Amino acid sequence: MSHKILATSAAALLAGTVASYACDAPIKVGVLHSLSGTMAISETTLKDTMEMLVEIQNENGGVLGCQLEAVVVDPASDWPLFAEKARELLTVHEVDVIFGNWTSVSRKSVLPVIEELNGLLFYPVQYEGEESSKNVFYTGAAPNQQAIPATDYFLEELEVEKFALLGTDYVYPRTTNNILESYLQQKGIAGEDIFVNYTPFGHSDWSSIVADVVALGADGKKVGVISTINGDANIGFYKELAAAGISADDIPVVAFSVGEEELAGLDTSNLVGHLAAWNYFQSAESDANDAWVAAWKERMGEERVTNDPMEAHYIGFNMWVNAAEAAGTTDVDAVRTAMYGQEFPNLTGGTAVMLPNHHLAKPVLIGEIQEDGQFDIISQTEEVPGDAWTDFLPESAVLKSDWAELGCGMYNTETASCVQIKSNY
Amino acid sequence: MVRLLALIWLVVLSFPAAAQDADAPIQKLLQEHGEIIAKSSRRTIGPAIDALGSSSLPKASEVLEKWQAKELWQIKESGLFVYTEKVDSKTEQMIDIASGAAIGEIAKRDLKQLKPNSGIRGMIGAALVKFQLQDPSPFARNRALDAIQRDAEDTHLAALRDVMGGEENLEIAARMARLERLLTIEFGADEAERIAAIEHFAGDLGVDVRAALNPLVAVRIEAAEETPEGDDIVRVLTPGSEMFPREDAYDILVRAELAKPRISRDDKREALIANIQAETVAGVQVASLDSEEARDLAYASLARDGVVDAVATEAEVDETLATFTFYERYTGAPPSVALAAAAVLAGIETKVALNQTADLALDAVSLASIYFLAAIGLAITFGVMRVINMAHGEFIMMGAYTGFVVQQFVADHTIAIVLAIPLAFAVTFLAGVAMERLVIRHLYHRPLETLLATFGISIALQQIAKNIFGTQARPLTAPGWLDGSLVFNDIVSISYIRIAIFVLALLFLALFLFVMNKTRLGLEVRAVTQNPRMAASMGINPDKINMLTFGFGSGIAGIAGVAIGLYAKVTSEMGADYIVQAFMTVVVGGVGNIWGTLLGASLVGTLQKGIEFLNPSNTLAAQTYMILFIILFIQFRPRGIIALKGRAAEA
Repeated sequence: MSHKILATSAAALLAGTVASYACDAPIKVGVLHSLSGTMAISETTLKDTMEMLVEIQNENGGVLGCQLEAVVVDPASDWPLFAEKARELLTVHEVDVIFGNWTSVSRKSVLPVIEELNGLLFYPVQYEGEESSKNVFYTGAAPNQQAIPATDYFLEELEVEKFALLGTDYVYPRTTNNILESYLQQKGIAGEDIFVNYTPFGHSDWSSIVADVVALGADGKKVGVISTINGDANIGFYKELAAAGISADDIPVVAFSVGEEELAGLDTSNLVGHLAAWNYFQSAESDANDAWVAAWKERMGEERVTNDPMEAHYIGFNMWVNAAEAAGTTDVDAVRTAMYGQEFPNLTGGTAVMLPNHHLAKPVLIGEIQEDGQFDIISQTEEVPGDAWTDFLPESAVLKSDWAELGCGMYNTETASCVQIKSNY
Repeated sequence: MVRLLALIWLVVLSFPAAAQDADAPIQKLLQEHGEIIAKSSRRTIGPAIDALGSSSLPKASEVLEKWQAKELWQIKESGLFVYTEKVDSKTEQMIDIASGAAIGEIAKRDLKQLKPNSGIRGMIGAALVKFQLQDPSPFARNRALDAIQRDAEDTHLAALRDVMGGEENLEIAARMARLERLLTIEFGADEAERIAAIEHFAGDLGVDVRAALNPLVAVRIEAAEETPEGDDIVRVLTPGSEMFPREDAYDILVRAELAKPRISRDDKREALIANIQAETVAGVQVASLDSEEARDLAYASLARDGVVDAVATEAEVDETLATFTFYERYTGAPPSVALAAAAVLAGIETKVALNQTADLALDAVSLASIYFLAAIGLAITFGVMRVINMAHGEFIMMGAYTGFVVQQFVADHTIAIVLAIPLAFAVTFLAGVAMERLVIRHLYHRPLETLLATFGISIALQQIAKNIFGTQARPLTAPGWLDGSLVFNDIVSISYIRIAIFVLALLFLALFLFVMNKTRLGLEVRAVTQNPRMAASMGINPDKINMLTFGFGSGIAGIAGVAIGLYAKVTSEMGADYIVQAFMTVVVGGVGNIWGTLLGASLVGTLQKGIEFLNPSNTLAAQTYMILFIILFIQFRPRGIIALKGRAAEA
């Protein structure tokens, strides 16, 4: 008897929730990742990740009782096309949220469209900061969640006294290296002990640059390399390092753009011990991660690996789902307000929190490359709150972003005024 | 009562294992430092390593070695340290560190693996030196020497001298001798010994020697009213020179509290403005503050009133600077040692500069050979046939992917490469022939259409490669004997792969010359390019020759792809990286002449390395300058370095 009552009331309750939200069409989730062109190498994986997340969510009953539908478009690594495709997603497909972009230049191209049409973008990649848009949630690392802790690790744990900052020539490495140069000088590293070099995308002739780095050690100081080299140029760089016989114990290299995916194209036996800094490694030990890796391998094949931007999408997507459930709607402004303070367990065993500056609080991990192309995590910090405006450049130290209380992404704390709302700087 | 018995029995049963574990002296020693070992930070770990290194416990060196190899684990609950053996992915078998006996299985989640970072591993290595130096295994002795090289300590010198005489392995003995000299420079007991060690290295190019000597000649700029006498004074500096500006000189005095601080003109002005009271500053009319002296006076009177801090005026600065002399003093070592080091370093520096030039030249030759290899196929299709083939880079890419596919089936890398080269030629030869038959044949003498069509084909081929091989870069691993570098000294070295590419480039030059000058195909190709109609009337089929020539050029591009894939990467876009340089090489060298292509490659390679050397911080800018230079060059020699003359030029 009592069982029957329970069952009926449960059924009624279920029917009630479903009925309370009229679901006449699936909720559309835009996926804006390049499937062709230079960046396809990294972004295709994220498209697959999004499709998998949507599928899992649909198996668990969707969002607000509705099924989700992933709308995939291909901006073809063409930066202006990103803006066109974002407009298409928002006006033609009328998606409720977009997950997308990899390079900073493509994000900059999308910003005006997203802000004009009041869309919602989740950006999953580590980036240079110095930006805060009302319509973008940055689920990747800001400089203080990757570059600064890694530099501290070099200074304190490895006692590096001379730095080579090697990067690909575009906005992310240049801004990051500016921040790092200023940070290192504040830490007492002399200007002449910092060697900076920029190379083009896809650079392959590394022998003289590697020789320059080795020559830095001639004055008896320990040399370390901080690499913001992006994409497939890394392969030539690491091959040349290995050929020169540089051991990670003599000249350690910490990379900000090399993850499990990138190492898949390399013979890592000569790279053992070199470092990478991320917020996630596949080798993280937690039950959630085990399940995630297993699901990914089952879907994509045993040889596939998971990486940091995938975790960023995992957290971002789940937070969006929870925020939409909390707000009871997928309306952009309501979801945005519900996002602040959202918590979701990350895959490394802690909890990610969405801050009012649209960044996440995430732990910083430093891993050593192993023979099998995975990383051995040797250092993991507590959750570090992401900082949109770096404290290490004088012009941005006074700025802060707070969309919840102040409603401003570029707030000058000295003059106590909002510099500007739109992010078209 | 039964319960009590059972309890005692349980205690008796479970205790021995635990007791044996926790009471061993080595375990106790580790427990003493348990907290900092678990924290695993280089800044705090020192005492734990020192305690283990200096303890006389027989197990100490084993624990250090295991710890360094990340094989030491800690039980989360009790904090005890154990070694483990893997049972399955979730369970580990614990092994007691004192007895080496298995003491039961435990869930992996209840254990914490100690992961010392490379900084701590270096410290452990340094502590292990005294154990490993006498180790019977040469491998362990080499590791000890590695550790000394990285983190030398003064105790290492004595330890090294103790074992040096008895070393039988010649290679290790040589390493020991060199390290002993290096350590003597740093830790030698008296100056004579150190100077002797320094002079031992005269003319040595090793980075380690310079790393040992440079700290000895560190200088500090000091100031005094009179220059002191002494060997440790390097030289006297005059303030006001470009090397040593007045501001720096005065700052040294201020820091030594020998002079008043000064402020910049702007700051002074700000201070005056801040103190304006009813149109006057310290009683002086604002309007009269129109010269630096007047402002100095006003500021001085403000300072007398105690409103602002007293600072030096320009005149006072000059006066103070005149009363002091400035000089550099050696601070890194006693003067005699520093002088000896400076003399040896000066000798080394000249040699270093010479060797750097040699290294740069080697790099330039290597880059030139890569460009030559990428361009040689183009020298045929573009140089001989005048077909602008924008898909040339994609033939390179196809060759590289062929190499990758071969490696999937053939495990031995040497055999794989030997197989890959003819296969890559075959694949790209066929692709080239197909392209010639289907597209280019219809577009001869319509360069613009050819350019557009081949550009389209290039994009299509890239996307096809992405669809087949995925977007991720694929490894094309070189055979083991091509690993590493040919090292002349610490400055001049070149990787074996680059040497192999150089040799390959020479081989292809020979092949090209042979085919063009000694074979019937070459004769017919030359005939067809010079005058197709005349050639046709001599019984040559121009259609067939064009097809074969295009296939030959494409095939060579395919082999170049294997070579380039070995040293760089295999991606669908790799061809695009070389197409511009390849065209540049052919155009600069002079269209239609293989020697021109060779010269063009040398020019482009040398130029690029030269500009990179002058502007080391931006490789991209170096490439831009190079292209600018080449545009200029083409203005003056539009037909390239070796210009074809006569009828062939008009064809």
